[in-house]
Amino acid sequence: MNPELPDFGPGAQGSPERASAGGLLADNLTGFGRALRRCGVRLDSAHIALAQQAALLVGLDSKADLGAALEAVLVNRERDRTVFRELFALYFGNPAAATGASAALLSGAPPTPASAHRPRVREALAAQPAPGSAGPADAPIDADAAMSASDLRRLRHADFQGLGAGEYRLVERLARDIALPLPRIAARRTRAGVRGARLHWPGLMRQAARSGGELLHLPRRERQPQALPLLLLVDVSGSMERYARLLLAFLHAATREQRRRDVFAFGTELTDLTPAFRLGDSDAMLATAATLIPDYAGGTRLGESLATLRRQHAHRLVGRRTLVLLISDGLDTGAPETLEAELAWLRRSSRRILWLNPLLRFEGYAPLARGAALLQRLVHGSLAVHNLSRLQDLAAGLAALTRGR
Amino acid sequence: MRATPEPAAAFASIDALALALQGAGYFADRRLATAVFLALRLQRPLLLEGEPGVGKTELAKALATALQRQMLRLQCYDGLEQREALYEWNYAAQLLHMRAAELAGPGAGPQAGGGRDVEREVYTDRYLIRRPLLQALQTPEPGAVLLIDEVDRADEPFEAFLLEYLGEYQVSIPEIGTVRALATPVTVLTSNRTRELHDAVRRRCLYHWLEYPERARELAIVRSRVPQAGVALSQQVADFVARLRTEASAGVFRRAPGIAESVEWTRALVALDTRALDPELVQDSAGILFKQREDVAALTPELARDLLAREPLEP
Repeated sequence: MNPELPDFGPGAQGSPERASAGGLLADNLTGFGRALRRCGVRLDSAHIALAQQAALLVGLDSKADLGAALEAVLVNRERDRTVFRELFALYFGNPAAATGASAALLSGAPPTPASAHRPRVREALAAQPAPGSAGPADAPIDADAAMSASDLRRLRHADFQGLGAGEYRLVERLARDIALPLPRIAARRTRAGVRGARLHWPGLMRQAARSGGELLHLPRRERQPQALPLLLLVDVSGSMERYARLLLAFLHAATREQRRRDVFAFGTELTDLTPAFRLGDSDAMLATAATLIPDYAGGTRLGESLATLRRQHAHRLVGRRTLVLLISDGLDTGAPETLEAELAWLRRSSRRILWLNPLLRFEGYAPLARGAALLQRLVHGSLAVHNLSRLQDLAAGLAALTRGR
Repeated sequence: MRATPEPAAAFASIDALALALQGAGYFADRRLATAVFLALRLQRPLLLEGEPGVGKTELAKALATALQRQMLRLQCYDGLEQREALYEWNYAAQLLHMRAAELAGPGAGPQAGGGRDVEREVYTDRYLIRRPLLQALQTPEPGAVLLIDEVDRADEPFEAFLLEYLGEYQVSIPEIGTVRALATPVTVLTSNRTRELHDAVRRRCLYHWLEYPERARELAIVRSRVPQAGVALSQQVADFVARLRTEASAGVFRRAPGIAESVEWTRALVALDTRALDPELVQDSAGILFKQREDVAALTPELARDLLAREPLEP
């Protein structure tokens, strides 16, 4: 494009100072790396060293090239790209901050970063001890601004308390006692065994070498059993308020061994709880989940939430092998057409959808609500989950439901 | 810690590299060219992610052509194991060797205590079957281009197995020892993000997210791939596909057509003797642009007419 003037540090300006340029560049990059890390981009010092090599290779003459080079080295996932670009533009694009000494660049944040930038970026720059620059006071306002825009929805943060001692013991005991019989399939990967259709050649050769080429018995390769990837969709709408917290705690404890586990909460919108579920401690998980879920105890729009899942997280559904556990009462307030289309999509792209429904406890419950009727028709099986102390039934039911493939 | 970059194969500048790639039929934008340039000079593997059909695999092919190196391809799939990726022994031949050694007489046979020698004889180069990873390491100067395609399709243990190769360009084989690269292979990994790759893999690679091309670049690609198509038609295709992508990101379609689709579509249009696009034709050939029933249905004649009627994006 049009190479702009190099305005990102005194090191670039005169070639006689090339020797000191390296030092300045290193300082600038270290500061930049620190700011990136504050934005949540994962990197270590090896990356910074590599970034310096890269910067010297592409030269400092074009800012666009330098940006591309640093991005190739410092960014390693798609979602970090925008944050990188914003921060790069702010950090290296501000002549006032850049023409000073490198120390100024390190300490002095660019004066008043435009509020168009995401709070993360602003905070990352403002967090530095920056005399005379914009204080961090105005950093966390965006959340409120977003809230007021959606006053039609009843938004409320979950006030998940930590588990009481009794509850904690109950959840732990249940999770321990009830082996959730999540189905396993024979994976493509194999191991040595006695059954299996194919020969285990390496073992066979070792044996043959010992006995002079004689084959005394034939070791086999058999397919390893592998747990299906799991996707949990938990309804946190108002009607599910009573169940959501303990169910989350139970599922967190019961599926701990699962290698592949993605968790989403949905109400009026979809929240990715997977990071919260990575925490080992159930209380910590609940605390994190509470901060993540913006629409606790609101309405249910399952269709729209599934559409979000399809658009943004479709790669969480692994090759039609995923087992989906949908925990909801089916009292959907969204458009039924959307719900039907999205459920059909979910059914096509997963191995099984199991609906765990707390309303099933009522005698003679019939899914009269349109959403519930749709769910009943499109899922592979449904189960009652209303009574946490009788989750054994859940385990047995799951086993029965998943046995049919 | 790494060997010095080989001066012969590396390009002097980003522009030289971009030009060479263009010579191989690949139109890279400057950001991508920068990433590739760095991957070559820093001798790091390059991890490419992006939507299907944006030219991830093509880049590796073009790179092999531009560098005049042999291209090796490891297509990943679920359950991919070391014996398909790295090496395997030719078991049948080994077995024959052992039988022959035994028949040759007691001197070489196990009775004389020579069994261990036979075992050593059997695990030699002669009976080694090299798979892409090992081939890439053992390709002499100037080295190979190794494409590890759709690495997200392999499972996590395989990713862990790749780490040694990606970090050090070497692998350990129990029977032979450590095999180091004769010449550092240019390594390109691609992923469609069917799952997240592990941080350990990402750390060892340079990363580039491939975007859909901007209109000018798409036009250049279509022109070079389908020269039979007229300029006007190619421009119309580039415009139309760009608008489809805008609509797709607005949620009208589930999946936007990639470059592969626009090239394929242009070919189809040429085969249909098309001079200019019209809504009916678009609808009839929508199956080339979209591979999902819902998307084909969403491209209604009204929408096609509306998209075609918009002002050209650029002259």
